[in-house]
Amino acid sequence: MKRALGTRLGLTVAAGLLALAAAIAVSSTLGSQPVSLAAALRGGEPDRTILLGLRLPRALLGALVGAALAAAGAALQALLRNPLAEPFVLGVSGGAALGGTLVLLAATFVGQVAAGAGALLGSAPPVALGAIAGAAAATALVFALGRIGGRLVPEAALLVGIVFNAFAAAVITILKVLVPPDEAARLLYWLMGSLGYVSPGTLAMGAVGVLASVALLGALSARLNLLALGDDEAASLGVDVGRARALVFLGASAATGAAVALSGMVGFVGLIVPHAARRVLGPDHRVLVPASALFGAAFLVLADAVARVAFLPLGTEPPVGALTAFAGGPLFLWLLRRGERR
Amino acid sequence: MRLVAVLALALLSAPALAAPAEGGRAHALWLGPRPPAVPRRVVALAPSLTDMVVALGHADRLVGVTRYDDAPEVARLPRVGGFLDPSPERVLGLRPDLVLWLTDRGADAAVRRIADLGVPVLATPVVSVSDVLATARVLGAALGDAPAGDRLSASLSRAIEAARARAARARRVRVLFVVGRDPLVVAGPGSYPDEVLRLVGGENVVQGTRPWPVYPLEKAAADDPEVVIDAAVLEPREGISRLSAIPAVRRGAVRRLANDDALRPGPRLAGALEALYAAVHGEARP
Repeated sequence: MKRALGTRLGLTVAAGLLALAAAIAVSSTLGSQPVSLAAALRGGEPDRTILLGLRLPRALLGALVGAALAAAGAALQALLRNPLAEPFVLGVSGGAALGGTLVLLAATFVGQVAAGAGALLGSAPPVALGAIAGAAAATALVFALGRIGGRLVPEAALLVGIVFNAFAAAVITILKVLVPPDEAARLLYWLMGSLGYVSPGTLAMGAVGVLASVALLGALSARLNLLALGDDEAASLGVDVGRARALVFLGASAATGAAVALSGMVGFVGLIVPHAARRVLGPDHRVLVPASALFGAAFLVLADAVARVAFLPLGTEPPVGALTAFAGGPLFLWLLRRGERR
Repeated sequence: MRLVAVLALALLSAPALAAPAEGGRAHALWLGPRPPAVPRRVVALAPSLTDMVVALGHADRLVGVTRYDDAPEVARLPRVGGFLDPSPERVLGLRPDLVLWLTDRGADAAVRRIADLGVPVLATPVVSVSDVLATARVLGAALGDAPAGDRLSASLSRAIEAARARAARARRVRVLFVVGRDPLVVAGPGSYPDEVLRLVGGENVVQGTRPWPVYPLEKAAADDPEVVIDAAVLEPREGISRLSAIPAVRRGAVRRLANDDALRPGPRLAGALEALYAAVHGEARP
């Protein structure tokens, strides 16, 4: 049995890595500017800079964000025992955006008194910490208010998440009115959920955060299998339910917070990818969590490439978050209807 | 879509990273390396900066502009995106040796990335009339043609002085300067049109601290401006009737600007002074 799991996991990881490599290769060849790979390899400019300085880091950013969101989605679905759970729908992304926005705002106001301190506060690490804190607060809220009679009711938790998302969006809208127009423009762009251009330092920092939180979720995957059976069943099988759930909270919040800090609100990746993976690979989270992370990475890299290329004739590119919502919204409704029929 | 247009227009007038320049000293900032030689291939990331290069007599050095650019001299040039979404890939593809940027937080990450990849970027916050004069000199120097910068700056100074002298002889007129109608977005204190209005003898009825407030219509009605200036040039002329709660709109005291020159801190300032004087004081314009 153990051996069978090892083989399946190995095959899945190999397929995931292959898909990710293919996605990065495709994304690196597509763009507004015709670029020759041969010229780039010979060191020809601007081909080399565009390929290695712009497209590759952007693909890596997409991979990190996709891996984080899909892994968090898989974990949250197990925890809530509901295939509709995912960071965006549950309000975790909204909480992260609100947390990050509050830090950016604080940076603006501090910057009016002391420019240096404001710039420091507005830099990537504090904003990311704000996003993670916001994600954690939103997760805690959803799970606290989603209880009825002391038991977690998945449907109630989902509703709390949806309402909290709307509330977070409203608060952000109000905050946007209070900041200078340039800051509002920056916020708007960040919140739209697009992969932009980050410095190698930010990318490395994001990689550490995402890999650590995804690894935590991976390590918890055996316990996720038991949690998915229900709290009582998990407890009777020897799982410390409170502790396991707290750790999954932490992992999912950190992954979502890091993803939102890197790219704003990209929705539905955590819904689409784990769902597709579950259809193909089955419900074992020991395979599902790493598969979701790897295929989520490949998915978002490809989605970003499509967003970049599809609107090329119009001289612009929609944020990748719009594209994932375009695909994820109908899937969500379909899953909802299917759940009703069952 | 309309909101996007309003936003674009508001951004045309340069929200800036730094405080407005004082005494004509521009807070220009180099990102990335300095150009090793006189730049020959220039990408401008804002129409007012394009205008500036054209007015300095160096339109031939421009190789890329934004999708909002409408100067005839650059009609055929490649577009590299907008204010929020300049495409670093397109910029690099044009092999520029100088990128001109109107500091704007939305595009911060993309432009910093361009600079990090070794392209010299000159960031110039242009918010006020004095910034315009200073930027003419800064760009002149950056293009290796300081005399052209000095000449442009001096000629704009003369236009400002002429407008001031003319306004001193005229009555002050209370004005509401409309940038967008739905929602109502107006030029408030600290915005570029507010400053140009004062130069031509107008008095902005909008008080407060925000340069581009979304303004409550009933407040606009209560302010009771003598004249409403309709600078929502991307919106159809008839739409102004939406604002008929404002007595001046009912009276027909609406002066529609023919273009967005008054929203562009740049060499179009001279034309904007003329147009705004005519609009404020009710002189017939073609």
